[in-house]
Amino acid sequence: MDVLGRNNVQVSGTGERTLVFVHGFGCDQSMWRLVAPAFEDRYRVVLLDLVGAGQSDLAAYDFERYSTLEAHADDLLAVLRALDLPPVALVAHSVSAIIGMLAAIREPARFAGLVMLGPSPHYLNEPGYAGGFERSDIDELLDVMASNYLGWAGAFAPVVMGAPEQPALRDELNASFCRTDPAIARHFAGVIFLGDNRADLPRLRTPTLVVQSAHDAIAPRAVGTYVHQQLPGSQLVVVNTTGHCAHLSAPRETIAAITPFLDALPMPATLQPA
Amino acid sequence: MRPLPNDLRLTEEDLIDHYEQAPCGYCTSLPDGTLTRLNATLLGWLGRTRDELVARTTVQQLLTIGGRLHYEMHALPLLLLEGEVRELSYQLRHQDGSTRPVLLNARLLRDDAGEPLVVRLTFFDITERHRYEQELRRSHAQGQEQSAQLAQANALLMSQNEQLSRSTADLDNFVYMASHDLRQPINNMAGLFAELKQTAAFTDPETADMVRMFEAALQQAVRTIDGLAEVVQQQRQELVPVEKLALKAMAEEILGSLQPQVLAKQAEFTLDFGAAPTVHTTRPELYSVLYNLFSNALKYSAPGRPVRVAAHSARVAGAVVLTVQDNGRGIDLTQHGDKLFQLFSRFHPEEEGTGTGLYLVNRLMTQAGGRVEVESEVGQGTTFRLVWPQ
Repeated sequence: MDVLGRNNVQVSGTGERTLVFVHGFGCDQSMWRLVAPAFEDRYRVVLLDLVGAGQSDLAAYDFERYSTLEAHADDLLAVLRALDLPPVALVAHSVSAIIGMLAAIREPARFAGLVMLGPSPHYLNEPGYAGGFERSDIDELLDVMASNYLGWAGAFAPVVMGAPEQPALRDELNASFCRTDPAIARHFAGVIFLGDNRADLPRLRTPTLVVQSAHDAIAPRAVGTYVHQQLPGSQLVVVNTTGHCAHLSAPRETIAAITPFLDALPMPATLQPA
Repeated sequence: MRPLPNDLRLTEEDLIDHYEQAPCGYCTSLPDGTLTRLNATLLGWLGRTRDELVARTTVQQLLTIGGRLHYEMHALPLLLLEGEVRELSYQLRHQDGSTRPVLLNARLLRDDAGEPLVVRLTFFDITERHRYEQELRRSHAQGQEQSAQLAQANALLMSQNEQLSRSTADLDNFVYMASHDLRQPINNMAGLFAELKQTAAFTDPETADMVRMFEAALQQAVRTIDGLAEVVQQQRQELVPVEKLALKAMAEEILGSLQPQVLAKQAEFTLDFGAAPTVHTTRPELYSVLYNLFSNALKYSAPGRPVRVAAHSARVAGAVVLTVQDNGRGIDLTQHGDKLFQLFSRFHPEEEGTGTGLYLVNRLMTQAGGRVEVESEVGQGTTFRLVWPQ
């Protein structure tokens, strides 16, 4: 399977300039449904699923390879290369904001700008840093994911049905929005919540807008402020909503918050030499 | 039961009471999770009052922290996109710190403009089922761990097997080189002795016997070396053909070469191969096996009694079984049994020996797909049974 199939890449909209939307943990590209269409009249819009999520090629999820976010950054760069795009603006939620940052550090010429929605470079509290969570909290999340009904179904249903190769059930589960393979979701959660990318922030040179939800239990305001401070020349905008998914709970406000930034980005029609 | 479509008692069901006292927890929240209403059952499970919660806390805060994260990242996006979530497994937190496993179903209601209005949530107590699920998960994890351990043990065995194969090949090479290097001096001895017979005059009448015995011993040395070389050659190249070999002829040939020892020990060999006169194997192998057993019987005889050795063959379940029974010193098998076939193991240090004989016998037999069985009693004698599948 080519990279476009592997990441379930969907292209829509018309325009010289390209927006790439990347979803966060727990969902897939369908979470952009209320935001992405607003840009299709003047942007080419690229949606994709991270490998392991949504309609991506689940068989490509090599647990060892994807034990760091760099592997997802590799995938993102591979998609951009395959589409042969001039510099794009990336709109990335939560963990994908970090993935996008890693990709932009690696190949800055491919990115005109980066919109980080609810980013957190590190979820654990450390001396002098309030990530918001203790290690025991994260362990409990992993436990909830394991005991979640879907996790139970994924682990036992094929055994119970006596047909481990029978794909019907898995396909049905995976066909629904935001349903992920439980084993992959649990692994990805461990990678996200136990990782630490704070040291990478100052290495980013791409113009960046940090979009912070006013009340976010996953990426609290203190973390958004930290990211803004660590990214030289970045902008910070607070959307007055509650929850980690402002693009779902407050889509109009989110669109309004990111449009001026995106429209003002200089986006040349061809790739500049790095 | 009779149908009651129009029974008044149904319409008289108090819906408010049903809501409050339902056998499940009901609540309603704003799309961001802020609680607007909870039923009495749910309040009881939480150990809280309505006033404490309504408009002050969120659905997420009713859950343990893992569930809170999961609800925020997975359930809420799903609700906003699809309007419904089902069968999510969470834990409700009681005010006293205890928890209650629940399954959550929830549905989003939209206003006339299609904007999210409220979320209706239903919690089902699944304490028993949760315990059972945990048990299943535990045994599942245990099973996975065990199969991982098995795989590890397997890998270790494979690598040990490889090492053993390498050592065996090394040993073959060693034996081959040793036999090759010994042949030259033995040939020299034979040449020198022939020369000596020509030039020296033997006058003593007993000398003629000694000369004959020396020649026999020399020939035996040559044969043993040839046999050894051939055995390892066979392992290395499998060139020596399997033949139908007569046991009697081979046994007599070997006894002929052992004549000096037979005489010295006043030994008597009884041979009876009538029941199974032949065996399918290679000549060097049969020679080496019989030679080692016969010479052992002579070497490790019991002092003070003449040596008696009985060799006979039989057919047992398609195999040829050759039994060699002696009346020698015997071996304490409870003490030495596990070392019996080890290379360089010696059980009678008072006699000269190299500790290679039984090793070779066992090795040749197992390589031929057969086996060696031993019975022994200290002071009484030893019985070897060689089993050749045919």
